[in-house]
Amino acid sequence: MSTTTSEPRTDSVPEPAVGTEQGPGLAEPGALARLFAPIRSYLIACGLLSALSSGAGIVPYVAAAEIARVTLSTPSVSAAAVWTWVGIGAAGAGLWLVLMVQSSRLGHYADAAILHHLRVRIVRHLGALPLGWFRASGSGRVKRAMTGDLEEMHEVIAHALGQLVGAVTVIAVSGVYLFSVDVPMALVVLGVLGLMTVSYRVSMRSMAAHVNRLIAAEGRISAASVEYADGIQVVKAFGTGGRVLHRFDEAVNEYAEAFAAWVNEVRHSSAVTRLLGSEMAVLTAVTAAGVAFIAQGSLTGAELVAFLVVSVGLPASIIPAVSGAQAVRKGRMGAANIERLLARMPLPEPERSRTPDGHEVEFDHVSFSYDGTTCAVEDVSAVCPTGTVTAIVGPSGAGKTTLTSLLPRFYDVTGGAIRIGGVDIREIGSARLLASMSLVFQDVSLLRDSVAENIRIGRPGAGDEDVREAAIAAHIHDVIEALPQGYDTPLDAGGGGLSGGERQRLTIARAILSGAPIVVLDEATAALDPDSETAVQEALARLAVGKTVIVIAHRLHTIAGADQILVLDNGRLVERGRHDELLTRDGLYARMWMAQEGVTA
Amino acid sequence: MIRRLYHLWPDPKLLARLWSLTVIQAVLQGLLLGLLVPILHAVVRQEPDIAAATPWLVLGGIGAVVYGLLAIVSDPVGYAAGGVLAAQLRKQLMRHVSTLPLGWFTAAHKARLARAVTADVGDAAHLAVVIGNPVITSTLLPATVVAIVFVADWRVAVLLCVIALVGSWTLRRAARVSAEAEIELERAAADVASRAIELGQVQPVLRAAGHAHGTPRMHAALDRHRDTYREGMDRARRPFFLYTGVVATGFVAVLALVAWLMVSERVEVATAVALLVLAARFLQPLGNLIELIGALRAMTNKITRIEEFLATPVLPVPAEPVRRIVDPHVELTGVTFTYPGGEAPALREVTIRCRAGTTTALVGPSGSGKTTVTRLVARFFDAEEGQVRIGGVDVRDLDPEVLLNDMAIIFQDVYLFDDTIENNLRLARPEATWDELREVARAARLDEVIERLPGGWNTRVGEAGAQLSGGERQRVAIARAMLKQARIVLVDEASSALDPENEAAITQAIANLGAGRDRTVIVIAHRPATLASADQVVSLDAGRVVETGTPAELLRTGGTFARISRQYERARHWRIGTVS
Repeated sequence: MSTTTSEPRTDSVPEPAVGTEQGPGLAEPGALARLFAPIRSYLIACGLLSALSSGAGIVPYVAAAEIARVTLSTPSVSAAAVWTWVGIGAAGAGLWLVLMVQSSRLGHYADAAILHHLRVRIVRHLGALPLGWFRASGSGRVKRAMTGDLEEMHEVIAHALGQLVGAVTVIAVSGVYLFSVDVPMALVVLGVLGLMTVSYRVSMRSMAAHVNRLIAAEGRISAASVEYADGIQVVKAFGTGGRVLHRFDEAVNEYAEAFAAWVNEVRHSSAVTRLLGSEMAVLTAVTAAGVAFIAQGSLTGAELVAFLVVSVGLPASIIPAVSGAQAVRKGRMGAANIERLLARMPLPEPERSRTPDGHEVEFDHVSFSYDGTTCAVEDVSAVCPTGTVTAIVGPSGAGKTTLTSLLPRFYDVTGGAIRIGGVDIREIGSARLLASMSLVFQDVSLLRDSVAENIRIGRPGAGDEDVREAAIAAHIHDVIEALPQGYDTPLDAGGGGLSGGERQRLTIARAILSGAPIVVLDEATAALDPDSETAVQEALARLAVGKTVIVIAHRLHTIAGADQILVLDNGRLVERGRHDELLTRDGLYARMWMAQEGVTA
Repeated sequence: MIRRLYHLWPDPKLLARLWSLTVIQAVLQGLLLGLLVPILHAVVRQEPDIAAATPWLVLGGIGAVVYGLLAIVSDPVGYAAGGVLAAQLRKQLMRHVSTLPLGWFTAAHKARLARAVTADVGDAAHLAVVIGNPVITSTLLPATVVAIVFVADWRVAVLLCVIALVGSWTLRRAARVSAEAEIELERAAADVASRAIELGQVQPVLRAAGHAHGTPRMHAALDRHRDTYREGMDRARRPFFLYTGVVATGFVAVLALVAWLMVSERVEVATAVALLVLAARFLQPLGNLIELIGALRAMTNKITRIEEFLATPVLPVPAEPVRRIVDPHVELTGVTFTYPGGEAPALREVTIRCRAGTTTALVGPSGSGKTTVTRLVARFFDAEEGQVRIGGVDVRDLDPEVLLNDMAIIFQDVYLFDDTIENNLRLARPEATWDELREVARAARLDEVIERLPGGWNTRVGEAGAQLSGGERQRVAIARAMLKQARIVLVDEASSALDPENEAAITQAIANLGAGRDRTVIVIAHRPATLASADQVVSLDAGRVVETGTPAELLRTGGTFARISRQYERARHWRIGTVS
């Protein structure tokens, strides 16, 4: 809720709140209403209470006006009538307060409920999306949906609803009262407010263009500051600070110019808006017109007083509606983002999960394309028998990572099929499919939980002894024991005090514990942390024992003993065989081998 | 608050001018309201006396025109001031940041810097302009009204003062309570956010474990957030209701007091009516103050963040710095250093001598202090105890510019500007000839890379050098260091898996770098070839120097270095699938 602020009740002038303001248009209509459906009745009740409260809030002002009227309409002051109106005013004030508290309570209750409801819904939906989505969108998108987008929607309930309903009610109730007092005077007030609206529209006409220019300039300021900070060593070492600072200054100046241009363009309309929207405008108009009407004899002094008390505060009551409307616009955008996320196609699950017969992995004319036009993997066929090691090699961009990510269904093949134990992986439930394999990639993912739980998640329900054994097998036990709280040490998302290689071994321990019969690993994993490279390597070797192993290899000597090597180039399988066979073939593999041996020999 | 806001800006006079205009407007508005007293006196009676009201009306008319003119003048002034202030503060912030020690530039600080120079400054400027106005109006207008009411009837004035006092006490409390509640809410929200990140990162594991719909901890965090949220909101709103109650009760009290004064004929009806009008004008802006609290708090947070930036101490510079490095002899004597916020020292009594013209390789497990040594030499930080000397002069006595001029730093994450390869090299020495450029490119094995690139020397490297691989970027950095003819070169050899071609090239390039006769190279070594070619190896462990000597000597003594070398050997012969 860090950015939750109630907009200041200020001027209805175009505000330079750049960075928060984005163009509308993206928002699909109704997204907000659809997402709020579970709390619709709460919201209606909340709106009603808020309307009643605002209505009651005017009563004390009306009472003040009426007191003036009753005392002025009769030559002698009627004490009873005066006290009655004081009583009504007090009742109105009391009601205003009580209803406001109730409306706010209800609003926050519903607000918390819907935040919870939507978060649970998002979490469940994410659990069904293809894993590839997480790779492409990253956890940032997840975080945004769970926090930022939702918070913008929350603003709608927390503030905007009350602000809008309140403003409308105040205008309506005051309007009815003023018209009942005197029609021509009410029209004068309406006229001032109408002029203000017109002038506001004029001043906001070019807002989108100006805001876009400001956003662009702000982007450049940000980029220049990042460039400066990122390149600070170079900047300082080579004395290029001036040049980069110059770019920053230019961006800042461009922003200032864009802003000045905007201010300059709307200077009159916005000043007029502000002026007409001030109490002074209404006060002046009401006093001038009132005295004129009194001079004509069409208005009494008492009626003028009613206008002075009730109408002068009207502009101040409209202003919250402006910020309320802005919040609604942002809320709509947040809602649209969330709806778009919830509308993403989940990974198709089979109606009945089939059980594979064994753990042999078969790629059968597999093709895959990210964009539908170019194939990242094309017509690859291979069989990885149970208990053997299959290495996938090739220049970067050859499709090694893509091919291996098809097996756990990060993406579904666009052609051909992948089978495990003779069963198409699309016919195996994704939980079972994933449980049948261990994925050891370069990016380590840890739970924000204790060390023990981080290993145990590999096989929920595993005993402490099993967890320890897995840790020992992964060469991480000693490291864990040395942690302040041993196996109970909590890890944050970054892995706490563990080095890259240690975190890596923790995930390997997890994989060992799971005992999954298929292991998919990236060999570069072992080289991530040179200081514990050997330990990681030994852990990986332990993990691979007796498994169907598919390994993406970068350093060829590590897979020279593989049972089968698949050589990919441009998404196609160009060679296959054992190390010695491939060397004699004198093809791509042999060339790659020569290049590497030339280095490491 | 206003004072802090005022002091934040490089040129606060702009704000002062704007605010004084607002002050005049607020007082004028109050006085114009005061004119209602004589006007109502004249017209609120059975026989309205327009003539008696006329002078007041004329005066009011003039006042209204002046007010209107002021409004029209001050409005653009305000926004223009906002724009100018933002620009000034942004530049000031950036100038300040450029004087900070290199050690300050962590990922977290960089992210906050980007936010500070954009959103924080922008919003603070915006708020300084738009908040000042209502804050001033909401306080000065009621004050003026009270003064006028005093003239009309002291009892009502006293009541209004009491309401204002009680109100301001409640308001202050409301601000404090809601700030406290907000901290709690923020904590719960942060918990949800980090669980969300975890959910995204660990998704495959969660699914395999049958937690596709979120872990119990995730759901617990969501439940906790809902409860904290409800509780926090309830608590935060309570003082706000109290304040609203104070204002509402105040209004009723004024109604009752005026009614009593009127009924008991202590004041004239016309005066009473005028008092009611004034009281309404007094209480409404007071009620609006509550709406400003949230905005004020948001601004306080932003201002605090900006102030923190400006308060970050700069790298201390001696009054009379030494402006020349005689020879590039690097020496650490008894150096102990703890990172800011760190618990254990990263280095303890470290003594290392790197003679001019030699190559020193630092080895040791991660966290042993290798990187810290290079950071202290480059003065990212200053040592707590002991001394870092270059050419016999303590680095703290050297002119920072001189130090950096004679130094090249080649770290793992090499930063390139989004410019051509040529210009990225020329940064080091703009006047370098083409022969010199080609020479260093060859020595750094960059020539092969350039040959392969579509635009050769003119290829743009993309933002942060994204067009080149990590190994290729490091070769650019090495070439740059050679071109600069820096006499002290600090290298953190790429540790991650490099493709074979890059691995060979970088090893070769570092060797070429060390071949310069007047050049002292300190390299954090990860590759056996680099270690083998060093003049001296310093082996670190847990922040202490455990061994020093030539590679051959250390291999013989069989200590840490020998063990690491064996590990390298073993790692190189590792084979997947050949383990029994």
